[in-house]
Amino acid sequence: MSRTITIDPLTRIEGHARITLHLGPDGQVSDALFHVTQFRGFEKFVEGRPFHEMPSIMARICGICPVSHLVASAKACDELLAVRIPHTAIQLRRLMNIGQIVQSHALNFFHLSSPDLLLGFDSDPATRNIFGVLAKRPDLARDGIRLRQFGQQVIEWLGKERIHPAWIVAGGVSSPLTAAVRDRILAAIPEARQIAHRTMDWFKRSLENYREETRTFGNFPSLFLGLVGPDGELEHYDGRLRFVDATGEKVADGIENADYASVIGEAVEPWSYLKFPYYKPTGYPEGMYRVGPLARLNVCDRIGTPEADAELAEFRELGRGAVLSSFHYHFARLVEVIYGIEMIEQILNDPEILSTHVRAEAGPNARRGIGISEAPRGLLIHDYTIDEQGLMRGANLIIATGHNNLAMSRGILQVARRYVDGNNLKEGMLNRVEAVIRAFDPCLSCSTHAAGKMPMRIELFDADGRKVNEVMRQP
Amino acid sequence: MSDVLVIGYGNALRCDDGLGPEAAERLAASLGPGTARVQACHQLTPELAEPISRADFVLFLDAACDGEPGTLRVQAVLPADAPAGATIHAMEPSELLNWTRALFGRSPEAWLLTIAGADFGVGCQLSPPVRDALPSLLAEARALIRSATDRATRKTG
Repeated sequence: MSRTITIDPLTRIEGHARITLHLGPDGQVSDALFHVTQFRGFEKFVEGRPFHEMPSIMARICGICPVSHLVASAKACDELLAVRIPHTAIQLRRLMNIGQIVQSHALNFFHLSSPDLLLGFDSDPATRNIFGVLAKRPDLARDGIRLRQFGQQVIEWLGKERIHPAWIVAGGVSSPLTAAVRDRILAAIPEARQIAHRTMDWFKRSLENYREETRTFGNFPSLFLGLVGPDGELEHYDGRLRFVDATGEKVADGIENADYASVIGEAVEPWSYLKFPYYKPTGYPEGMYRVGPLARLNVCDRIGTPEADAELAEFRELGRGAVLSSFHYHFARLVEVIYGIEMIEQILNDPEILSTHVRAEAGPNARRGIGISEAPRGLLIHDYTIDEQGLMRGANLIIATGHNNLAMSRGILQVARRYVDGNNLKEGMLNRVEAVIRAFDPCLSCSTHAAGKMPMRIELFDADGRKVNEVMRQP
Repeated sequence: MSDVLVIGYGNALRCDDGLGPEAAERLAASLGPGTARVQACHQLTPELAEPISRADFVLFLDAACDGEPGTLRVQAVLPADAPAGATIHAMEPSELLNWTRALFGRSPEAWLLTIAGADFGVGCQLSPPVRDALPSLLAEARALIRSATDRATRKTG
């Protein structure tokens, strides 16, 4: 008799989803599905709006990474204007984008994932949360708060708003950087740097405790996708697409924005609102790939800043070829935090950073614009088509969480097969299934074009569709 | 001089829920320079524990979803544990003070000023009873700040 286990909804992720585990006659997991149960519809309702409204509208897709949508949207609009963006504007956009990556990575690591890492995957779910971390390690919780605050302040000081700044616009940014703001950010860097390194040291010492999770949390061969700069360095704002395989070999490189559709296909399934992007030359679903911090460190030749490059060298020792375990998203995230702090300092010391030439003005000069950047969770594509009046005729958004959709399902299946016994369900088993998803840091608000949490529900169905058991858990 | 922090919070796109940010902005405009640090935000988040830890006196401004619409309520806030099922997506002032004490070793005197709302639907306008009660909230906030500042001056003087 086959049965089904449903985890609904998932907790400590951004958005709503549920997991269905199908059990075989022996009570062991035979298949896993990751269902995204919310729908946003931004691609449709922007039709008919003036294109220059897109950055502000698209930023509303998400309250965690609005800056990523601002950046990708503004870049798509830049192409519609067909103008050259001032150097200082590019640097300022980079600055805000990195500020967001730092705050988002801090949110994932400290607020969402550290309860599992610090308190244990099998610890009491009533205290396995940020409040439990606060009680056991207030210093760690304080570091998390300060680091996230640093990233948020970079955004707020630049854009005057912490969550939905309208500062990045088509053609550049709306106002230049002042010396006072530059100096405030520079003054905050030493503490952020200390926290980043302290956290990395703690995490690396803790890795030994998670040997089993490292082995089984989404540890499988796949392709990896990310942007790289002209010299193969880590890149979050611009650059070209690169795919590498599980051995670390490049399978596609130097792909320009306009050609993304030649390598990325999109499939849909009737049981989820999240699309299933895949590597086109390999086909669906075999063309599974991963994006985000793990992928970015796998595709780049080097990072380009000294402290992060030293960490990359250690990261590379975790695998032969590409690093395959999704558990190491956490490691990669911390490397990117170190990189982000170094880059913020570099950008602020650019001699032209206070230039007042920060925006190029023009009307629509092209009918199609594609903006691609790296969001905290991975590659972000905004592809717009307009009419001759500059009104939106079409939008296609491919979001980081979507790119990871096939890989997340694969990761769930692997963890579920290792930990879930359908004949003897325990909460810790299900927490590990959730934790593998959390490692990917999915943002479902973005990818389905709502943040929230509800109790987790696990349901068991027999082969005839009859519910034979149900477990409820309050978050 | 007392270090005063004012935090007005709420969703400015949900009618009366936007009271907190609106009140914070109006208060900031009416206070003399250097009187208080005033912040308007969407919701209370853990990061606010740090600026709170640096303050001697904190005012929280919010809309209440219970009570007769337009009713002003002023209440002292003390640190308290988060209730079961709490989330960092929706913190209460008392939880935030608890975080502040746990993380930074101190928790300042704090007050919560609320007006009971009538309409929390989609929109940018305050409802008439809330709009009418707003001047009273601002007057009460200014009186509390003045009182805190006077007490601090007497202490240092």
